[in-house]
Amino acid sequence: MKIELFYTPGCSACLARHDELRAAAKAVVRDLDWHDVDVLENMERAVDLGVATLPSIVIDGELTFTSMPTVTQFRNALVQRDRGRS
Amino acid sequence: MFTIGKLAGLTGVSNDTLRYYEQEDLIRPADKSPAGYRLYDQESARRIHFIKHAQACGFTLAEIRELLMLRGLDQACCGDVRTRAIEKKLQIEQKIRAMRAMSRALDHLIEDCADETKPVKECAIIAALERANLSAPIQSP
Repeated sequence: MKIELFYTPGCSACLARHDELRAAAKAVVRDLDWHDVDVLENMERAVDLGVATLPSIVIDGELTFTSMPTVTQFRNALVQRDRGRS
Repeated sequence: MFTIGKLAGLTGVSNDTLRYYEQEDLIRPADKSPAGYRLYDQESARRIHFIKHAQACGFTLAEIRELLMLRGLDQACCGDVRTRAIEKKLQIEQKIRAMRAMSRALDHLIEDCADETKPVKECAIIAALERANLSAPIQSP
């Protein structure tokens, strides 16, 4: 599962819970492919995906969170998506 | 201290707009004259210039209110303001993309109407717009 967290350096909301979310993803997803994406270096891709607020989280190419989720919200979204794939 | 008319002259913003800004809590009179007229200080003039510049960058009044709030917060940092500027840029880039798609769709309509001497009933642009399904915007390749 590919997870892209769009952020910008200096964004305090982008850093909040980052490590906890990544740890939750590692615990739930077997084939985790995590990317921290600096939006300024990837503006075209961000616009392609509809990213308009920061942080945003894209899972397997789908814009899933447009603000920082709680760990529970994030874990639930991953579990649901993982079930859908199997 | 300035009256509303003087402040309007200083900032190039109409009296009505200033009253609207006050209603929206973007500016606040610093005092009242003995006759009861509202009086504004230099900070109001600075805020209005700030609002005008921010509007020129595409920020809405609601967003400008947040920026003004951040401006007054000791614990806020430049990164918070920068993030809002980047989010605004993302939104503008998306609008530019949507408008380019509209422009391309118009190019196709214009190309379809090769004979401008035809009566309007036979106009290819009108026909194409009538054919267009409202739920599916006109496609451009």
